[in-house]
Parts: sequence; C-alpha cells; structure tokens
Amino acid sequence: MVKANEEEILERKIVNVNAETVSNITSTDFPGHYYGEDNSWNLEEFNQNLKVKFHTNQPYDSSFSLIGVDASIANAFRRILIAEVPSLAIENVYIFNNTSIIQDEVLAHRLGLIPLKGSTEGLRWLHWFRKGFSEENDYNTVVLKLQVRCKWQPNGKDLAARGETDPKKLYIDSNVYAHHLTFEPIGQQEQRFNGVPVVSANPDILIAKLRPGQEIDMELRCIKGIGADHAKFSPVATASYRLLPHIRILRPILAADAKKFARCFPRGVIALDRVSAEEASREGSGYEGHEGEFKAIVADPMKDTVSRECLRHDEFKDKVKLGRIQDHFIYHVESTGQLESDELFLESVRLLKVKCRKVKRALNNDNLG
Amino acid sequence: MSASAEEPKDVEMTDAQATAGAAHGESSAVEDTDDDFVDPDAEPKINMLPGSTDTEASFQFDKEDHTLGNALRWIIMKNPEVEFCGYTIPHPAEAKMNFRIQTYDGANVRKVLEKGLNDLMDLCDVVIDKFTISRDEFNDQQE
Amino acid sequence: MSSQQQTGGTALQTPAADRGLYYLCERCDNRVELRKGELIRCKACGSRVLYKERTKSRMVQFEAR
Repeated sequence: MVKANEEEILERKIVNVNAETVSNITSTDFPGHYYGEDNSWNLEEFNQNLKVKFHTNQPYDSSFSLIGVDASIANAFRRILIAEVPSLAIENVYIFNNTSIIQDEVLAHRLGLIPLKGSTEGLRWLHWFRKGFSEENDYNTVVLKLQVRCKWQPNGKDLAARGETDPKKLYIDSNVYAHHLTFEPIGQQEQRFNGVPVVSANPDILIAKLRPGQEIDMELRCIKGIGADHAKFSPVATASYRLLPHIRILRPILAADAKKFARCFPRGVIALDRVSAEEASREGSGYEGHEGEFKAIVADPMKDTVSRECLRHDEFKDKVKLGRIQDHFIYHVESTGQLESDELFLESVRLLKVKCRKVKRALNNDNLG
Repeated sequence: MSASAEEPKDVEMTDAQATAGAAHGESSAVEDTDDDFVDPDAEPKINMLPGSTDTEASFQFDKEDHTLGNALRWIIMKNPEVEFCGYTIPHPAEAKMNFRIQTYDGANVRKVLEKGLNDLMDLCDVVIDKFTISRDEFNDQQE
Repeated sequence: MSSQQQTGGTALQTPAADRGLYYLCERCDNRVELRKGELIRCKACGSRVLYKERTKSRMVQFEAR
C-alpha cells in the first residue's frame, strides 16, 4: 500500500485562502480518491489522530481545538449544540395582573428568553413535556412566580415635590429584574432540586419598569425543550468554530519589510527574529549577506484573522501563502448558564450517538416500506 | 398548583426513560426514548423509496437534517464497498432527508447503512473519551 | 356595591347615576373614584391623566414565544 509523504498530506489538509478566491475546500479522504491509498474508516487510526486541546475552560465560556475530524462531524456537533441539546425555559405565562406599561404578550415573550439555571441533577431528572400528550406535573414543569408591586419610598413624595427625578430615590421596586423570579417547587422538586432553586442565570436582566401603584403578578411555567423548537431553549449563547489559520512564508521577508509584514497581521501573529550567521552563509537560502537583519517568522497563527491584508502589498504577494487547516477546528462555546460549556459539548456528542442509535433501531424494526 | 398533589399521569414515559438510562449507564440530560418529541402515531422513521434494490437504494429519514445527513454521508463514503453516497433535503419546509447509497460488488445497502451508524457511534465514543481526558488535564494544570 | 341593589329589586334599574368608577392616577398611586359629570382629575395630586383599571379576577394565559 502506497503511503503519501507527510508534505503531501499537509498540502491536502490546507484550504488555500488566496487574494480573491478560496481553493482546496473539499475533503478527499475517501477510499479510491488517491491511487493506492486506503483511506477507509479506521477507528484505531482515528483514535490516534484525534487531538483535543483546550484554550480556555470557564464555566460559561470555553474554547478548545478539535483536531483530526472532518467538517461534517464538527458541524454536526455545532448544530446539535445550538438546536438539539435541551434546556429549561419559560413556556406558559399566566397573568393575573399586569398594570405596567409593557403589554402582556410582549412581557410574556421577554420572560421566555430569560436563561434559567438550577440544580443540574434536578434539570437532568426533568422529563419532556409534550404538548397535547402529557399533562403538567412535577416531572415536567417548573413553576416560577413573579409578583412585584411598585411603591413610593417613605420620603418619595416629598423628594418628588422638591424636584427629585431619580427613580431609585423615589420608588421601591420600580425596576423588575430577573432576580424577582421565585422558584415554587412542586411535588418531588423540593427534594430533586435539593436546595438549588431554579433562578435566572443572570439576576440583573431588566424585565419591566414600574411606577407607584403598578403591579405585576404572574405565574410562569417552564418546560424542557430544544433550540430547534424555539431559540429560548438553546443552551448556548454562541457555539461556533473556525479553522486554524496557516501562514507560509515562502521566501524571506527582511528588515523594514518584515516590520511592515508584521503590521499586516493582528499583534502576536508574526514575530521578528535576527538572521543567524548560519542562515546567511547558506547558499540559496535567500538570507545571504543579511546576517543580523530582522526576518519575519510566524509566531502564533491562532491569533490571525486571515484578513488577507498582506496579499494587497506587492512586495509580499509572492512571498507568502495564506490558508487554513482543514481538520483543525477551534470551537468556541458560550453557555447561557444552565450547563457548563464543556459539559454541553459532551452532551452534543452523546446526542449524536443517541441519534444514530435511534435510526439504527428504526432500521432494524424492519418497517421499511 | 393542583397537579402537585396528583400522581404523574405519563408513567409509561418515565418508565421508559428510567430503563433506557440504566441500560447504557450514561448520566445525561438526553433520554434514549423513541417518543421524544415524536407523535406516538407517527409513521416509521425511515422509509425506502420506490425503485430501491439491495445494492442501490434511497432511504427517506423523517425528522432528520444536515446534522445526521452530512455526518453519516461522510462516514459511509469512507466505506470501500460504497460506490456512491449522498443526501438531499428535497424541500426545506418538510422535515425529511433523502439518503442515497449505491454499492460495489453486491454489498447490501442496509448492511452498509448499519455499519455507517455503528462507525459513527464508535467515533462519538472516541471523541467523548479524548475530550474528557484533555479537559481534565487542562483543569488540573489550571489549578 | 350595585349588586346588592339588584338582588331584591322588582324592576330593572338603569345604572345609578351616582355610581362611581375607579381609575388609576397616572402621576401618583391614587385610586380615584369618578362619578358622572365629574371633572376628570386626581383628587390627590391634580393630574388630569387617569387610567382605567385592569379587569380583575380574569387570568390571561400567554405562550412565552
């Protein structure tokens, strides 16, 4: 079996970003594509080639590289993160009183979009609520209450008479915030949520503004859903990936040019180094007679945005090639607060597996018609 | 709330979830039940389209999209027995995905499809393992 | 209020002219009772903008979508 050399393998992996075009985009790692090469699915090989590298891992913001997977797989994870990992959100709003200036239906819509958090075990225990099939009970519905009434501060009227206009000094509860939402555990929920109530992931979300005498009194029922149904159920604020940029300096870029070249990129992408005596003495290296001068070297392509600025300057045009690595996905997952970002990604992988299992079961049920 | 005092009515669903959870031992917000978001009276999830043979067939997946379609296409194309594999979503407003497989040398399309699904599940396991290891290492370093 | 008048009554009555309706003052949190022909004005602060009260004892349901 013929094996392609490493250089060629790397060449295949690079998507070329040219001045006006992008080339070599499609995956070619299929059997029969290259003469004499295997390229069939090999779990062992996949296991060896797959690399995961973390860049940041904060609860609600994580970034990591997934190296060695195809775009179709990486994209499946991203799509699942956005549209299929379930989360809890307000679905039904029962309004007993709302004398605020914000209309009932607008208020209901705003409430739906508030990200909630709570005991992870409790949320995992929660079951689906299927409209028209299940009835609301402690297994599938979480009840929140929102009861706020705005009042004058004890000396508010005096201050107002004296011309004070600051709502904070004049009124009590003139702003309704997400932290006003209170969890009302029903049935088993007290025990299942075990002292970690369902609350807004961010307490300072402004829901409505009130003036003295105005009141909001409502019950909110939350269910578990998926982003495909409504964006409020999406557990991520963003889930995206980009391909690792790749910069190839083909011929030396020296002295003043090197500095100019570095400025074509975001800070830190290109570094300047001195041409060594060894390099300067090597025939055909392009460094001859330039010992001690600055030369541009690629320091951190991860920071690059592939703006292609360097390709606009004639002096760099033929000295540099820009590209991206086809199988190096830099993910960025920001959770809305219900689950931690890294956990969400794992969930998306598990979900893809569950999807396969379901399809397989349907296939084996032999009901193909 | 009145429902709190009552027994849960959809016991069937909860039982199914409990057993499914125990069977594969995954702690997950995802329950492996057939009835998730699916109408119980719904038609089967996969149909074979007319004109299909053992070596050249089109399957119609219900309620699937590019997420599974493209991933499955890629992994099935990695099978050397496969001459052609592709998918299409005939109409964006219909939650249906048509999946075409043609094989060499009389290989059975359903076997090929099943192998594709198995391979994809193996792939997921590897990704989960590697991801977990790498994350734990990273978290340890941060401390 | 008026319901007691109607329970024992023999003939239908036109709504009493002196029956007041409640409004909410726009400027202060006063509940203002206004009768027919009366000046539209808050008795506490003098504001001329009054809101109708929201219908009580009727819950409305909305989908948060």
